[in-house]
Amino acid sequence: MWLPLLGLILGISLGLLTEIQIPEIYESYLSIAVLAALDTLFGGIRAHLQHVYDDKVFVSGFFFNIALAAALAFLGVHLGIDLYLAAIFAFGVRLFQNIAVIRRILLTKWSERKN
Amino acid sequence: MKKTKLLKVPSRGLITISMVSLVLGFILAYSYSISSEDNEKNASNLSNFQEQEKYREKLVEQKERNKELTEEITDKQQKIRAFEHSFVESEESVEELVEEAEILRLLIGDIPSQGKGITVSLEDGAYNPSQENPNDYIVHESHVFKVINELKISGAEAISINGQRLHANSYIRCTGPVIVVDGKTFPAPFTIEAVGDPKVLLSSVNLGGGVVDQLTSDNIVVTVGEKDLITMPALREDDYS
Repeated sequence: MWLPLLGLILGISLGLLTEIQIPEIYESYLSIAVLAALDTLFGGIRAHLQHVYDDKVFVSGFFFNIALAAALAFLGVHLGIDLYLAAIFAFGVRLFQNIAVIRRILLTKWSERKN
Repeated sequence: MKKTKLLKVPSRGLITISMVSLVLGFILAYSYSISSEDNEKNASNLSNFQEQEKYREKLVEQKERNKELTEEITDKQQKIRAFEHSFVESEESVEELVEEAEILRLLIGDIPSQGKGITVSLEDGAYNPSQENPNDYIVHESHVFKVINELKISGAEAISINGQRLHANSYIRCTGPVIVVDGKTFPAPFTIEAVGDPKVLLSSVNLGGGVVDQLTSDNIVVTVGEKDLITMPALREDDYS
């Protein structure tokens, strides 16, 4: 239980301490990656709550989504199309859907426990 | 229930989740730090921009001031040029003025005059008083005038009558057989001396139908001579009247 939390804290501290400067045009990739990671995380939580959680799917989805989002943004920048908008749209919609499902499940559980 | 499930997760799954959370934390924190840097940059950019604007305004102000000053300089330079031009002209005119002043000083007798010149002496003609009108034979001041005017016109620097130098305000008056020059009385014969170029003076006096001829026809004995050196002193104040 403590290991993931430790990993999170380690990651945050690493991220805050990193002094690597990335070019300004690649910053949009990073935001897309953040969105993808959040989406996958909430997807994983939902899957876990729905008892369909699978390690491989979650991990592969996490990294693959991040890579795909970054690749999309990269392609968009080089084609002159704002493709990162597509990523933002897709991930945003999925994020909201996942959060909504999680909320409903939690609400159901809470009302069940109350009864 | 959740706890039991989590506890049941095998160590491999726990490790993968730890890895995922590590990456997630890293990405989140990194993007956060970058965006905060961006915000700082933007803020500093904003202040930089404001500063730049300020300096630009100052620059524009200075440029306008410079422009005004440049115009002023051009204006002044033009004035200076005009002055210089007038200087050049006035230098030329100064030379002329000096020459003129020299001539005028000679004219009013402020400075002594010396040099070559001619003498013209006028004597009363020989006459018989019982038979003829003596007025036709004696030298009148009009004759002296004629000679003096001719000499002056011919460029004589200084003229004297019987040693009395003439100046700008000299007067010659006829009082019977004598003439009065500047309050001094002189009898005939009158010797008029003139400083100047002898050739010019002589030729102008001896001109056909000129002064000498006229005076001769008025029965006056005119003797014209050239002199190598005529000296006339400067007139002093008491010489005037």
